[in-house]
Amino acid sequence: MNRFFTPFFKTLVDHEVTVELKNDISIRGTLKSVDQYLNIKLDDISVVEEIRYPHLSSVKNVFIRGSVVRYVHLPGAAVDTALLEDATRREAAQASAKAKQG
Amino acid sequence: MENLSLHDPPPPGDQPPQLPQMIPQLPPQMFTTAAQLLDLTDKKLLVALRDGRKLIGVLRSWDQFANLVLQDTTERIYVQNLYADINRGVFLVRGENVLLLGEIDLDRDDDIPEPYQQAPVEEVFALQKKEMEERKRKEKVRTRKLQGYGFEGDMGVEGIL
Amino acid sequence: MSFFGFDATLPRDRGHQAYKPGFGATPDAFAGLSGRDDDADALDFEDTYDGLGDRLDETDDAFNDDTFGGEPATQQNVAKDFDFSGQTAKIANTLQEEQMLYTARQPPPKASPPKRAAKPARTGYENYAQPDYIPKLEANAGLWGIPPKKASPQPQAHQRQESQGAPIAAESSRKMMSLEEVEAAMRAQSRKPAAPQPQVPQAPQLFAPVPPAQPSPAEFSHQAGFGVPPQILQRPQAAYDQRPLSAPRPPAQAELPPQGVQHPQILQRQRPVQPEPVAHRQAPQQPAAQPQRPPSQPRQILQNPNRLSGQGQPIAQPGPRHGMQQMGPGHQRGPSYPANVVTYPQQILDMSSEERAAHLEAEAKRAKRNYKIHLLSKDNGLMTPQDKNFITRIQLQQLVTATGGVDDQGPEAALAEDFYYQVYSQIRGAPRQNPNQPASQFAQTYLFQTGGRYGNNRRRPRGGDNHIQRMEQQVQRAVEAAKAKPKNKQLVIEGSLGKISFSNAKTPKPLLNIKRTESGTPRPESAARRPSHMHRDPTTADRKVVLKDIENVYSTLMQMEDHERHMPPPLAEDSEPAVVEAHMLWRQTIQSLNEKLWRELKVMEPIIPNSPTPHPFIAILSHPKGKKAVPRIFRHITDQQRITILTMIVVHLDALDVIRNAVPTHLNGIDQPIPASVREDVELFAQTVLPPFFAYLAEAPLNIATGLLGLVLDRTNLTAVARTKIGLLVLTMFVSRAELLRPVPPAPPSAQDDWVQWTELYTRLFDAVEPVLPFVFPGSVNDAEDVYVWQFLAAMGVGASPEQQQRLVLGVKERVMETVAACRALPEEMRARRLGDVNLFMRAIGLDVELLG
Repeated sequence: MNRFFTPFFKTLVDHEVTVELKNDISIRGTLKSVDQYLNIKLDDISVVEEIRYPHLSSVKNVFIRGSVVRYVHLPGAAVDTALLEDATRREAAQASAKAKQG
Repeated sequence: MENLSLHDPPPPGDQPPQLPQMIPQLPPQMFTTAAQLLDLTDKKLLVALRDGRKLIGVLRSWDQFANLVLQDTTERIYVQNLYADINRGVFLVRGENVLLLGEIDLDRDDDIPEPYQQAPVEEVFALQKKEMEERKRKEKVRTRKLQGYGFEGDMGVEGIL
Repeated sequence: MSFFGFDATLPRDRGHQAYKPGFGATPDAFAGLSGRDDDADALDFEDTYDGLGDRLDETDDAFNDDTFGGEPATQQNVAKDFDFSGQTAKIANTLQEEQMLYTARQPPPKASPPKRAAKPARTGYENYAQPDYIPKLEANAGLWGIPPKKASPQPQAHQRQESQGAPIAAESSRKMMSLEEVEAAMRAQSRKPAAPQPQVPQAPQLFAPVPPAQPSPAEFSHQAGFGVPPQILQRPQAAYDQRPLSAPRPPAQAELPPQGVQHPQILQRQRPVQPEPVAHRQAPQQPAAQPQRPPSQPRQILQNPNRLSGQGQPIAQPGPRHGMQQMGPGHQRGPSYPANVVTYPQQILDMSSEERAAHLEAEAKRAKRNYKIHLLSKDNGLMTPQDKNFITRIQLQQLVTATGGVDDQGPEAALAEDFYYQVYSQIRGAPRQNPNQPASQFAQTYLFQTGGRYGNNRRRPRGGDNHIQRMEQQVQRAVEAAKAKPKNKQLVIEGSLGKISFSNAKTPKPLLNIKRTESGTPRPESAARRPSHMHRDPTTADRKVVLKDIENVYSTLMQMEDHERHMPPPLAEDSEPAVVEAHMLWRQTIQSLNEKLWRELKVMEPIIPNSPTPHPFIAILSHPKGKKAVPRIFRHITDQQRITILTMIVVHLDALDVIRNAVPTHLNGIDQPIPASVREDVELFAQTVLPPFFAYLAEAPLNIATGLLGLVLDRTNLTAVARTKIGLLVLTMFVSRAELLRPVPPAPPSAQDDWVQWTELYTRLFDAVEPVLPFVFPGSVNDAEDVYVWQFLAAMGVGASPEQQQRLVLGVKERVMETVAACRALPEEMRARRLGDVNLFMRAIGLDVELLG
């Protein structure tokens, strides 16, 4: 799965995304990096409903642990759905080919 | 030059002629936990943990699991419109307990957002304890109700930022 | 004056700065602490050092060449003879060895760039670990009273001599020159041209093998306590002492002006630039100077680093990722205060009061931050660059294991592993470097398949609709062609004007109304309902089967696209047998893939009349992803296969979801709006299926148009078809194509038969469409998306006989009048557009909206 998602997120580097965590906080910022665990690094963050999260008032960039992410809201224009569909098809084809081999 | 050669007819039986030209790749090391934490090393950070604690300290060391070593850590508690800092010293945080790390802007470091006022630790701590118990109680009720509907297990992260 | 535009005043004149704890750390506060630079080092220092040091604008530094020699310093011309004290000489061999060792230990840049990492631990205070270091500074402090102007020549002289390898260098390095001597030396050199890129020697006061001392708070307070400039001045150098860390520190660290080193560090992660390692390696070895030198000599050099805090800073941030660089004034290395750093007390006096206040505030802020940074920095580097590298490598190793080492296997393997990213970067990434390069096949597949992917067509009703535009062109050409023909002259313009120009003519309406109730509304409704009941609600199993079919089509498509990229080089007459064979093999494969695709499309499945389930191919087309596949399919099939598909579509025209579901329904006397999901399907169909359809037909002979139109008339429910956008577009295609083919002098008898047949079909079409003419428009008159209807009417109008033209006008004149009236209230641009739409039709029959007043 990481094999698939990391390259996908690579194309979104420097785009604005909103990361919604499992504890309901939503953080918007510029995507800087995503690693194999889907840990996310955001720059120039702003927090939705900032007043509820005073801790983040002086924070400018964050590292978010992948395991606590609920959703990542992506900019639609930056996602090529036709291509993404094909990428998943390839992924599935490769996986099934591997399964047959092994 | 390289690009040109990519599009030259390849030697027979070798590469296909129409290999796509590759645009410069983002280096793979950009997409590692290490790369993400490099920038944060030796910086003053806010660390939010899954249990809801907020630690402020200097990140001194880490590993690929995002296990962290924090130095000069204070725990900051916000409750109602009060806050307090408790000195905690050195922390070794197991990565799985981390919710997020945030680099603190030293220029805005001391700006406590409205309407929070500093208060004695004891007072804030007591308030927080009460609040947490209240929340736990509510959570219990909620979980029980949800179980009634067939929901099971961990409902997300406990920590409330 | 000063050489670098920095403060040439003496430390004691800058009182307030020196007292502030932490302020002394100004230049280097950013250096040692953050670890950021070092980290970045660990990643790709070599790649990112961009030679900024060479690009410094030194134009105003008139004495640079005097100071540093007329030519760039190199190891040869500067290195060992630079020795203020004679001590360097003693360890010269060691220095060189160390240098070699350091160089040798650098891994080859490609293999593992990270190795050059600097030790973040170095904070610039290392020097103070030298037991006798500070005392000497203190002793020298007394000499700073020398006015900077006069002091400056001295280093010039030294550098100069040293770069020339003149014997004086050695001499002067051992004793202090008199002012006269210095001036004489200056005069002697004054004719030399300025060096374009003077190499600024590093701070002389460093000892070559600096012990990697951690600055302790004690040390710091020490420094602050002195409050004297040497500290301020020295730090910057110390800042880049850090770099050597991993290998035994090469003594010749000093080679670059601080900017040269520091900027790359700042920028490393952001700006990959051609590596320029030479600058580091060629380090001259002069830095190993010692504190007992006359203080006036180093001063110029030392002041240079100050520049970092001011004008030097902006240089560090060119390039596109500038913004990122600036994101945080907090821990970032680059000072974030304004570039015009005030270094002269005089400058402060010259300021307006607000400026001064702002300046002081900024200063205070800076000092505060620097102090914080200092406090944080005391244990910097607990985690060494090696540690970081190690972890990075572990992770990279994991990645490689997971992906199978993309880097080694060339683009095809990278593509297999990283398909989305690779193709995405090609399509949307950098513009192709060579305009002659063909757009990659991926671009053809993914970029052009749907016409306007980037703009949402709904927002640009006409501009983005490729097919609409092309249709319009074709209709327009048909109109133009028709105008050239004599037959249109028969139309009595005044007569038709007279008929349509009386406003609110109610006369024909009852007639039409009757028609509607008889044959208009009920018929299409029931006709549309019946098949829709038959076709709707396919069972889940059916749906699964169809989706599976579509996936099979896609997977074969992708195989074909992959295979196409592996096409062997074109055959020539003298091709080797192996090449020919490869070609044969390739063609065989493509042939078998084509057959596979054809089977999977299920076009040839038998048509079962009145079947409750739609034909499998039509079912494929009813799914969005089935529609999207059509343009890609058309690229891989033969002409024969294309016409087969077109025939299939035409025969089932009223069974297509985009027609079946898009026929307006009538409820309680009101046309129900077409559901949004259906509208989306219609748009998608128009963008994906119609263009290849249209492209094929645009080149087809008359008999194809005739044949397809005949199928529509014979096999489908025309009233339903004509009331939908897709239906009208398809009909327009046929009619306008035929009109374009109509020969200007009437066809010779041999071809007359074709035209007779066409005219017959046209008349049938006309008769079938006429009753629904008032209902072919979507929505109310305020619905501006009706251009396709006017196109259809125009195409019909061109081929119509005068009598038919009259009937056409009668059929739609209400809408014409309403539209013209509605346009009066519209803004200019929209009005022009809508009137233009109407005029498509009006001109086709020799009229114009202008004539309607």
